[in-house]
Amino acid sequence: MRHHIIVRISTRILVPFILLFALYVQFHGDFGPGGGFQAGVIFGAGCILYGLVFGVDALMGVAPMAVVRSIAAGGVLLYALVGVAGLLAGGNYLDYGVLGATPVAGQHLGIMLIELGVGMTVAAVVISLFYGFTNR
Amino acid sequence: MLADLFAHYNYWVVIALIMLGMYVVMANPNLVKKIIGLNIFQTAVFILYISMGELEGGTAPILSDAFTVYANPLPHVLILTAIVVGVATTALALALAVRIHRAYQTVEEDEIDAQDARDEALQ
Repeated sequence: MRHHIIVRISTRILVPFILLFALYVQFHGDFGPGGGFQAGVIFGAGCILYGLVFGVDALMGVAPMAVVRSIAAGGVLLYALVGVAGLLAGGNYLDYGVLGATPVAGQHLGIMLIELGVGMTVAAVVISLFYGFTNR
Repeated sequence: MLADLFAHYNYWVVIALIMLGMYVVMANPNLVKKIIGLNIFQTAVFILYISMGELEGGTAPILSDAFTVYANPLPHVLILTAIVVGVATTALALALAVRIHRAYQTVEEDEIDAQDARDEALQ
């Protein structure tokens, strides 16, 4: 994509805003459309756009294969650990109500952490799918 | 009676999209275009369930003090899961298409059948 200067410059301007929008969608899942999966896909799409325009090697410099795989596993681990934290605090597995001072605060904290785990895993999986298709 | 027939026009949209998707899957010999047709069919099924959960005058199912009537949130949650499953299925289908292209050097169904028939005749 060396000759397409308009695509390169507009991508360079847009990618930070796409990633920022993904974070907005992630943390506003309680109050509007959004949540973990949507935010993860938007984040992955922003990274894939960067990889398409500037080359897969440029994307691999920012997000190496090992880091992406660790983030994918880390998201699932975070989800499981929130469940175990509910067990340790005295409730059932994945019981959010016992995680905070009041049940409502516990629900807020529990859902935010769970959605963070889902978002991390989905973004990492989308990027590693892109790597899988481009690395013959 | 004609007004009643078109009052619930979401079902007509669903029928049109299902027919389009199924036609693309059946009639097009290109494997990648078949996958696109499958995605159109999938979108039609999503629209069917979500539009069935809509209430007249209902707002988006997000709790707020200003509204009393909400659309049914259960179809939204189910279809979100279905969308995730659809993404995974499309990724798998595209990976299979890439592998077929590497083995046969084509993604056209009739050329793949011709190569298979030739291999069969040689054995």
